[in-house]
Amino acid sequence: MKRKIYLILIILSFGLLSAGFINNTQSENQNSLLLKDKHPKVDWTIGCTECHEEITPKVFKDWNMSKHGQVGFGCFICHGDGQEEFNAKGKDNGCLGCHSAMEVNFKKTKVKSCFDCHNGHTLKFHN
Amino acid sequence: MSISRRNFLKASALTAAAAAIGVEPLHKSSVLAAAVQESVVWYKSVCRFCGVGCGVMLGVKDGKPFGIKGDKECPVNKGLLCVKGFYLHRMITAKNRLLHPLVRKNGKLEKASWDEAMDLVASRFKEILEKDGPNALAYYGSGQAQTEETYLAQRLFKGYIGTNNADGNPRLCMASAVGGYTTSFGADEPIGTYKDIEHCNLFLIIGSNTAEAHPVIFDLLVQRKKDSPSCKIIFIDPRKTPTNRIVDLHLQVKPGYDLAIMHAIARQLIKDGYTDEQFIKDSVNFSNGKDPITYDDYKAFLEKYTPEYAAEQADINPADIVKAARMFGESPTAMTMWCMGVNQRVAGVFLNNLIHNIHLLTGKLGKPGCDSFSLTGQPNACGGVREAGGLCHILPGHRLVANEQHRKVVAEIWKTSPDKIQPTPGKHTVAMFGAAAKGEIKGMYILCTNPAQSLPNLNKYIPGMKDTFLVVAESFYPTETSKIADVVLPVAFWGEKEGVYGCTERRSQHLAKALNPSGESRWDGDVIVDLAKRMGYGKGFEHFKGPEDVWSEYQKTTAGTDMDLSGATYDRLKKVRGLTWPVPDTSHPGTWHRFTEGDPYFPKDKAGNRRMYFYAKPDGKAVIFARPDKGPEEPVSAEYPVVLTTGRILEQWHTMTMTGQIPELVRANPVPYAELNPDDAKLWGIKNRDKVKIITRRGLLTVKAKVIDRTRKGTIFIPWHWPESLTNILTIDAVDPGSFEPEYKVAACQVAKA
Repeated sequence: MKRKIYLILIILSFGLLSAGFINNTQSENQNSLLLKDKHPKVDWTIGCTECHEEITPKVFKDWNMSKHGQVGFGCFICHGDGQEEFNAKGKDNGCLGCHSAMEVNFKKTKVKSCFDCHNGHTLKFHN
Repeated sequence: MSISRRNFLKASALTAAAAAIGVEPLHKSSVLAAAVQESVVWYKSVCRFCGVGCGVMLGVKDGKPFGIKGDKECPVNKGLLCVKGFYLHRMITAKNRLLHPLVRKNGKLEKASWDEAMDLVASRFKEILEKDGPNALAYYGSGQAQTEETYLAQRLFKGYIGTNNADGNPRLCMASAVGGYTTSFGADEPIGTYKDIEHCNLFLIIGSNTAEAHPVIFDLLVQRKKDSPSCKIIFIDPRKTPTNRIVDLHLQVKPGYDLAIMHAIARQLIKDGYTDEQFIKDSVNFSNGKDPITYDDYKAFLEKYTPEYAAEQADINPADIVKAARMFGESPTAMTMWCMGVNQRVAGVFLNNLIHNIHLLTGKLGKPGCDSFSLTGQPNACGGVREAGGLCHILPGHRLVANEQHRKVVAEIWKTSPDKIQPTPGKHTVAMFGAAAKGEIKGMYILCTNPAQSLPNLNKYIPGMKDTFLVVAESFYPTETSKIADVVLPVAFWGEKEGVYGCTERRSQHLAKALNPSGESRWDGDVIVDLAKRMGYGKGFEHFKGPEDVWSEYQKTTAGTDMDLSGATYDRLKKVRGLTWPVPDTSHPGTWHRFTEGDPYFPKDKAGNRRMYFYAKPDGKAVIFARPDKGPEEPVSAEYPVVLTTGRILEQWHTMTMTGQIPELVRANPVPYAELNPDDAKLWGIKNRDKVKIITRRGLLTVKAKVIDRTRKGTIFIPWHWPESLTNILTIDAVDPGSFEPEYKVAACQVAKA
């Protein structure tokens, strides 16, 4: 019986999470830059958030309202400075800086990166 | 947990190797063998930046820095890092590391050998000493140096060369807090610890942008509010800052006019009956700063400070003062936290006293969730400078140069004559650089700090620094100070040397040596001992073979004092995540609240039924001061109608010597700027990102305008980090008469579109 309940819960959760992914993808596309290997050439005398607040307000808002935004973990933490280094997607080693207690051996999991589950700019679990 | 045989063997070998060199690898981690950590040894250390004292683990792979993690075992940060600490490992190998000594020849700094550089320093210092006496020499140290380094430098300058011209940069940030604690409670440093945050329901933050200057403390506050929804935060500060995100009531005061508010809060607490009369009777005296007064005298003194009067002074709403007082009074617990907005003022000590006043009135001290808790700016300002005698008037163990018995005890430990230690304080920082500008100080040794950028009113002091025989011991080159030095000595950086840091909450923590020093750099302590030997004081220093020897001797200077570290041996500190003094023996767990029954020095016989006994005061009573409210040294005028205030931003630290090497951190705010209130900007015809000229009586600076709703109308804010744009040419060098700390926080200026 318990197994059945767990199975139903897993299926329901998957459905909800998928919906979350779709919603997220749709809204991100409305006002985000398409992230490639290189950051577009911009006025580098302006800080990340100063520009992105105007260019990608949804991304900025999501980040700003998130826990990382609250404590000032800025764009550069995951994406690099944009000039010398730019990562469209964050690197897991960076996460370990603060979340060493949450360290995962990806060899033993189906997911391959922290960002596979903690996605979007809120970085909430299965955003 | 399953683990492959190969990885198991690797992990075992790493653990054994780590144990052999006395460090604790993360062997309890369930995933030591995970791909990201293979062949990495993690060393227990403490963050190099602010005074919070976050525990960090420095990862080393193949003899090179690999990564950094917050130390999840450390009770301070429980694994968290701020954005600066996040890049700490990369600063070890930054491009600007100085790898060999430099000596000025024909006006240019050129590569030299250690022997050449040290012989030159020793011979010039000896020559000055013989010709002009010991007070023509000076030492200027740092709240970033390890305790062992500061201790050795004080030992050499105060105990052997024989000058008390040995001060440190905490004079520029924490001296007013020292003055406040010693006058109010009789002894320096807070009564409680961070553990009080977990029990506190009302925080009063004054003059601190905690979110940016002490981000991990801010995170603890965020967590506390989450855990306890009834928890409230009152904020007294001239700016809206990222700290406002968790604030319930903001008193956005006119810079320099908040003393009256603290008096008005005290008055309201009395009027509304929130005082702890038994505590006052048992543990409090009253003073007007010169003579004792009565409680009734104090009440009469406060009558002037109505909410309306204070509100008029600070240009805020009087109802908010009443509200703040009631929130403070009603809450069973309260912590006040403050930083440079309180300390860097000509009335800095007074304002510290007024903060302590409201805790003494309400008895909100020395019990869980209650403290008058000063936040410290540098990682070892408390441990190294305030505790190890790094200011011109003190000796190790919270002792005073002016006290004959103190000089005697210290001289005996230092193996020198008590007569060698001068009985009068030396020159404090601003006076020291003033004396250099006048040619009275002819030789100066600067360790791990950058006064050519950090002193106030820079234009007045830089020429004198150029004329002085200037020796700079630094890990990085160039800095504004090393550029004008005569000798630059390359010294080991964080991670390349072993030592102890003492943070804001009286916690002493050990920093492991994880790497060999880069290039030809050497441990600062080794360089100071070398200098002592070359100057002829070898006998007094020959027993120091490494940092543990220095720490062990230093421990002796603390034995029996209010900051007893006798139980904090190296062996113990290597194993634990720090100890909060007093810790009188190796079985003592450390002290949460001083002056209470949990304090090993609490004199139960004298205290009787008293809950707190301030044993550093003659009768065990703390002092409530009736200090006059005092405005800034340089109020605005018709000619200079705008208030200039300065400070820090999250991603940069002090003079950017370290954080300026990390492109990601620079990216956050790439160029110098001034924050302008939108209404002011409109009035002055200035748009966001326009260039603006800021002019004070001392200098002119052109920076980018950042038009943002943060400062009050009529006030601008400039972060002081960028070396290419020296904010401190604008600031005033007027000092607090008690602490001699300059008023960086308030000056009058003109603003115009460039």
